[in-house]
Amino acid sequence: MKKRYLSVVFIITILFMFEKSLAQDFDFFEPKVTIAGYGEVHYNYSKTEIDKSKKTLDFHRFVLFVGYTWSEKWSFKSEIELEHNIVDGEKGELELEQAFVNFHHANYFGFQAGVVLVPAGLTNEYHEPPRFFGVERPDYAKVIIPTTWFGNGVALYGNTKGLDYKLTVMEGLNSDKFSPGSGIRDGRQKGFKADASHLLYNAKLDYTGISGLRFGASYAYNNAQGDSTSNTIGLAEFHAQYQNHGLYSVFEIGNITYSTGEVEASHGYYFDLAYNLGLLFGIESKIIPFFRYSDINTAAKTKLGGDSQKEYHYTQWMIGLSFQPIDQLVFKIDYGKNEQELNSRETTLFNLGVGYVF
Amino acid sequence: MISNTLRYLPIILSLHFCAGVITSAQEIKEEVEKIIGNTFGEEVSYMIQKYSLSPEIKKKIEIEVKQRFFDAYIYIYTVSLDDTTIAYGFLDNVYGKTMPITFLVLLTTEGNIISSDIIKYREPYGGEVSNESWNDQFTGKNSKSDFTVGKTISSISGATISVNSVTKGIRKLILLYQSIKDEL
Repeated sequence: MKKRYLSVVFIITILFMFEKSLAQDFDFFEPKVTIAGYGEVHYNYSKTEIDKSKKTLDFHRFVLFVGYTWSEKWSFKSEIELEHNIVDGEKGELELEQAFVNFHHANYFGFQAGVVLVPAGLTNEYHEPPRFFGVERPDYAKVIIPTTWFGNGVALYGNTKGLDYKLTVMEGLNSDKFSPGSGIRDGRQKGFKADASHLLYNAKLDYTGISGLRFGASYAYNNAQGDSTSNTIGLAEFHAQYQNHGLYSVFEIGNITYSTGEVEASHGYYFDLAYNLGLLFGIESKIIPFFRYSDINTAAKTKLGGDSQKEYHYTQWMIGLSFQPIDQLVFKIDYGKNEQELNSRETTLFNLGVGYVF
Repeated sequence: MISNTLRYLPIILSLHFCAGVITSAQEIKEEVEKIIGNTFGEEVSYMIQKYSLSPEIKKKIEIEVKQRFFDAYIYIYTVSLDDTTIAYGFLDNVYGKTMPITFLVLLTTEGNIISSDIIKYREPYGGEVSNESWNDQFTGKNSKSDFTVGKTISSISGATISVNSVTKGIRKLILLYQSIKDEL
């Protein structure tokens, strides 16, 4: 019996070696560690009409990506982010923004489990500095879509015939931390022993079947809980981005509804228009001037109504330039003005930045 | 029961591993065959060659395109109809962020692109590079064509690394064909 067993193992081993040698042809995969990263350092100047100007120099984000691929289907990906140089009490943040095991069955189906990103809007999943205009991420991607929005959970994803889908179930939000000025932003639990009693559900569908164009929408739903409050939110957003023949255009619009509390809805949109002048000069480096217009109101609809719906409403215009000597490096400059609706108060913004990705 | 399972574990594992390796390679072969069949019809025949790149040609192309070859060889399919070569298929890989992207470029004997196809994409992000509409942009291009992403080749938001990588990979094969066509 033992002999028979050993001969079966032996035959299979020989078969395996034979088949493996055949399969080496066309077998391109090798297990691999990947180390990558990105970062951005900023100079920010802002001045409101009544206050003194504020000037800061900040290494805003330093991010390291570590990944490992065990096989063609199984891999691990992670991103650790240090924000604002240090971590000391309230200063700075060290965050595990992504850390998931990934199973990639085929292009049309895969899943992730661990710390995952919410696939809401254009910036949350793709946020390396060369990928957006302006030194800072668009305001929309801060208070309407609270980037970087991550948490513990699972996601199913796939791409077929130009359709790109993702379904995510993850930790919910802390409703105690919602505020009229920041929307749901401060409610993110960021994976810290996150309350899992009321999960967040998100579904995203994009279409990329037309060359250069991506457009789509997502919806997030969460019956958010806190120690003293409970608030069901729904975040619906639409996004579109076109980049071809040197032209770049971006449009995003989003709306958050709240079931209880003073604020009933947050609303915002922005658009970017840009063109790569490098093409006109026939150089590989990119010189991209851009224009942005934003309209943001984190308390767009309130129970109180009246001026309380104008208090956090502002519009912004911005002009700027991104210079990319190579695709992985970007030098940025921008200038803009925010105007608050309630008292027509203006804030002037001027920013400089350097970003990299590798 | 448990001891029985443990006993057969080596057999199960080796069979499982075997199946994994074979399936992946077989899938790639079958996909290439399907594309050749769909493009030229079932009556064509083809020959596969594991073509070793000469270090000089390899280096020259790598410097021009600013991307290394995945390996020291590529696979070349010579497609024939009634003993006459009608096209070539170049199968190669480029790296996305972490994994190889396997792609096929079909060329006329004059070196014009008939089609480009992503044969296997292995990463969770950037899979849109497999879209037919994106790959169609390469049809008709040759070694003299412009391959600038964002100008003549459109980018895909969310798939930037893959778009740049595959575009360079295709251009490398076009230049390679020009250098080696006489020996094929």
